[in-house]
Amino acid sequence: MKIKNWIYTAALGAAISFTGINTVSAQVAQERYFRAIGTPHNPKVQVSWNRYHTNLALEEIMKDMAKQHPNLVRLESIGKSYQGNDIWVLTVTDFNAGKAEDKPAMWIDGNIHSNEIQGTEFTLYTAWYLTEMYGDLDFITELLKDKTFYIAPTINPDAHDYFIKEANTQNSPRSGMIVLDNDGDGLAGEDPFNDLNKDGHITMMIRKSPTGRFIKDKMDPRKLIPVAADQQGEYEMLGYEGYDVDGDGQVNEDGIGYYDPNRDWAWNWQPDYIQRGAWKYPFSVPENRAVMEFVMKHPNIAAAQSYHNYGGMILRGPGAEEDLNTYNASDVRVYDAIAKKGEEFMPGYRYLVVYKDLYSVFGGQLDWFYGGRGIFTYSNELMTSYLYFHQNAGRGNQDEQMKVDTYLTFGDAFVNWEEYDHPQYGRIEIGGFKKNFGRLHPGFLMEQDAHRNSAFTILHGYHTPKLSVSEVKEKDLGGGLREITATVYNERLIPTHSSQDLKYKIERPNHISISGANVVAGFVVENEDFNKLKEQKVNPEKLEVDNIPGMGAVKVRWIVSGGRNFSIDVDSVKGGKASWKK
Amino acid sequence: MKKMYLSLVAGAGMLFSVQTTTLAQGDYPTLSQVTQRLQAISGSGSAAKLSSLTKTEGGKDIWVLKIGKGEMDNKPAIAVVGGAEGFHVLSVELAVQFAERLVKEHSQVLDNTTFYIFPNMSPDAYEQYHASLKYERRGNASNVDHDRDGRVSEDGYEDLNKDGLITLMRVASPMGDYMPLDTDERIMVKADRSKGDKGGYMVYPESRDNDKDGKFGEDPVEGIAFNRNLTYKFPIFTPLAGDFAVSQKEGRALLDYLFEQWNIFAFVTFSPANNLSSPLKYNAQDAKKRIVTSMLEKDVAINSMVSGIYNNTVSQKAFNQTNQGTDGDFFQWAYFHFGRLSFGTPGWWVPEVKGEDGKANANAEANFLAWAAEQGMNDVFVPWTGITHPDFPGQTVEVGGIKPFVMHNPPYSMVNDIAKEHTDFIIQLAEMAPKMEFHNLETEKLGNGLTRITVDLFNNSPLPTHSEMGAKSRWLRKVRVDINKEAKDLISGDKIKLIDKLEAYENISLSWIVKGPGSVEIKAGTAHTGIVTLNVKL
Repeated sequence: MKIKNWIYTAALGAAISFTGINTVSAQVAQERYFRAIGTPHNPKVQVSWNRYHTNLALEEIMKDMAKQHPNLVRLESIGKSYQGNDIWVLTVTDFNAGKAEDKPAMWIDGNIHSNEIQGTEFTLYTAWYLTEMYGDLDFITELLKDKTFYIAPTINPDAHDYFIKEANTQNSPRSGMIVLDNDGDGLAGEDPFNDLNKDGHITMMIRKSPTGRFIKDKMDPRKLIPVAADQQGEYEMLGYEGYDVDGDGQVNEDGIGYYDPNRDWAWNWQPDYIQRGAWKYPFSVPENRAVMEFVMKHPNIAAAQSYHNYGGMILRGPGAEEDLNTYNASDVRVYDAIAKKGEEFMPGYRYLVVYKDLYSVFGGQLDWFYGGRGIFTYSNELMTSYLYFHQNAGRGNQDEQMKVDTYLTFGDAFVNWEEYDHPQYGRIEIGGFKKNFGRLHPGFLMEQDAHRNSAFTILHGYHTPKLSVSEVKEKDLGGGLREITATVYNERLIPTHSSQDLKYKIERPNHISISGANVVAGFVVENEDFNKLKEQKVNPEKLEVDNIPGMGAVKVRWIVSGGRNFSIDVDSVKGGKASWKK
Repeated sequence: MKKMYLSLVAGAGMLFSVQTTTLAQGDYPTLSQVTQRLQAISGSGSAAKLSSLTKTEGGKDIWVLKIGKGEMDNKPAIAVVGGAEGFHVLSVELAVQFAERLVKEHSQVLDNTTFYIFPNMSPDAYEQYHASLKYERRGNASNVDHDRDGRVSEDGYEDLNKDGLITLMRVASPMGDYMPLDTDERIMVKADRSKGDKGGYMVYPESRDNDKDGKFGEDPVEGIAFNRNLTYKFPIFTPLAGDFAVSQKEGRALLDYLFEQWNIFAFVTFSPANNLSSPLKYNAQDAKKRIVTSMLEKDVAINSMVSGIYNNTVSQKAFNQTNQGTDGDFFQWAYFHFGRLSFGTPGWWVPEVKGEDGKANANAEANFLAWAAEQGMNDVFVPWTGITHPDFPGQTVEVGGIKPFVMHNPPYSMVNDIAKEHTDFIIQLAEMAPKMEFHNLETEKLGNGLTRITVDLFNNSPLPTHSEMGAKSRWLRKVRVDINKEAKDLISGDKIKLIDKLEAYENISLSWIVKGPGSVEIKAGTAHTGIVTLNVKL
């Protein structure tokens, strides 16, 4: 047997056996699973959406997606983090239906803040859902033919794993892994939290004290409750687990980070004394720089979503009152239309404006996406206590949280108080809620919320522009001249150019071109009924149209001679392409 | 034959070197001449160390000279910046000469002060001064679509009269809104229509309208200007500024470097902005806003004091010095966003020339031409000469105007004196640096091995350790006091104490009670104030 033949036979055999396996697995599924509406019940990529994944697991899942869906998923590293981890982006589209970069695109990222890791799972869920439902559902199939989704599960991989693997509070770290000098003493990171009881969580320190203002609740001794003004307490609060490492009389005052990656973006960036958490200049955080470079290289991104926690919010800018006039009425109408729909199918989530409903942010990511690039962008604050009991008990409500841990998580969320000999405080007790409770979803609430938020980004992505040449009229003007009037329609809510884009000319105008005829003159039609035209004297065969509004149309006109079989092409950076041929 | 080649080469080499010397004396240096001088300053055994922070888009080095002695990083430092604007070639020469004079004539100041000299932040643009086509260039070599029409640099300058210079062109037109100045007809000024002036000319930079958008020279072949690309009041999406702040290699490299040099207490920037002839003004409203846009009140007082020293040292009297900062510039960034004292001067400006009536020329160009005439400079104006312009067929078009560079850069022969005076000013500024001193040390025996140590920490300087803005900034460290005693032997007093700020000539009393015999070391200060050590015998 010749070696070539052998290889061929082996490959054939492997191919057969692979097909065999697929068939078998489909049969296995048919024997065992029945579809729950809305969820791929026999996915090619198996993922459990009720746990958190480390970078290692994320990479495996993403590589598997690219392998199982070669015509729908491409995986690329858009740069390295501070510690040299890859920042992965999944490009999800039907690659057989046009180039990814020619279609209007939706950018989705998660985990800019290190401890806010459910955004990573939610973005990944979106990629998984889209690819597994492609071919099953006409809506999704059509969507991936029309649009491109750029999905970055974590744009902060270093601290993503640091939060998971090292001892942390629910709130730490917010930044990536660059260590700065938080207290101005000339040393960086010299006094971080200390996991005194070595349980992987930074919880609270309390101490018995005659002047303490708290007691342990007799009904539930995990709870520390304040005493009345005229009563003696038993315990004082000492703060998060740690000791004074450098001997300056302060505890936990200089850990990793300090900077805030979400104050590092180039729209109305302000320095630290104005905007706490800003670092050197816009994009001084390497992970953000990688995202910025990707966005600059993909001007087809017309919509964007970033995920944070906590609070159940759909946020839009402006981040600061100073930027109020950045958002004008026509863009706000688009924002409102999509987000108000989102509120309806995301119970517990409210549509809010950052500067007035939350707090002021200069140099935030969503402000750069919109202000700096003209991209319609939301930032969702994931998880809200509403999801526990469908009540608005408020953030960090101790009674409610204890109830959750008693009746739903059965003690998984809390580290019980235990005594500890502290080098500076003496005998103390350490305990409290774990880092993965409170701001993060418990497993049993994750898949549902991931799905609802994905549905929101799908709605958003769906409403990026969709252009078509909807009507072409010809009129004989005599003398061998004809007048051709074409209507270009945008079938979706989002315009090809936001008003911010138009104001600053961020992206070039749309091009509407005619070929196959001799163009004598070209016009943008401002009012067809009364023949109000704006002539483009230079290069009239390629008309420059500033904007094609959402759910609206523009008309253009050419006076041509000759060329009976002309064609019309529309080329919009954010709106995609369309063509018409006689 | 071979020999002949050799001697030819040698001859050419000799010719070349002679010419280089003449050039070096007669005109502003080329980039390679600047590099040679920087290398000469930092030769072996020199207190100066030369390094390249990055290469620009045009492949040019961004140099820094770090000059100092001993523990350089813990001595207060001044950063001197040249070439913030590429057309301002004087500024590069002033920075380089400062370095040369510092090392040769003022090296004693290095005992207490460190210097960072960034001689040229715009080398790509600087090159235009020596290029065959000369114009006042600001942008680097990046490709930028200045007019944001989707076509990059399609409408640059064009040397219509082939004189190697980009000046102006004027088109005779009844619709034109420019007219000759009555006192000097060479100069074109905007017609004052409120006075019924008619105009008669359209004035544009020497260029064509290649993209037929009715605008001339609006998308030149140059990139981003360093002095328009910093974060303070960044003029986003405007020509020469671009899409976001600090987008260019040279800006990033400089800032990345500065953020690691904790000892800089002051900047001196040679650029068109001037707060040395007269200080910046205080505006209470702008100072109190969330986004601060006025120098803070106490810092204006410091600016005023330093300005006084400048005016006593530099002989030229202020004239037309109205530029106190422009959007996105470096000089304002150093104060408003980096929290350091920041001083700026163009180094030279066109002096005031009074007319026969004893009055100053209200028009800056007319004043310049009058001054040039006084100086016998006959080669500063290109006389208006008719050309045929393809975009204005059949119309009268003339090219002419003041030559590039001459209004911002004096004849090279004047530079030595200017550089000397500015060196003297910077040396005086260095001598004012915050200075930590211990005074009035007392040790009292309290019995049973306990000693009370009391000492004053004194800032022996007319400057505070932290300006009002500096105290807000986290990019200046606090003054730190350390005592090298174990916590268990420290009965009272802080092992580490951070002090936010010491005012000019302020002292702070420190005290500890320590246990045991021997000696202790007390250390105070921070990089930008210098660090002092006191050994106390118990």
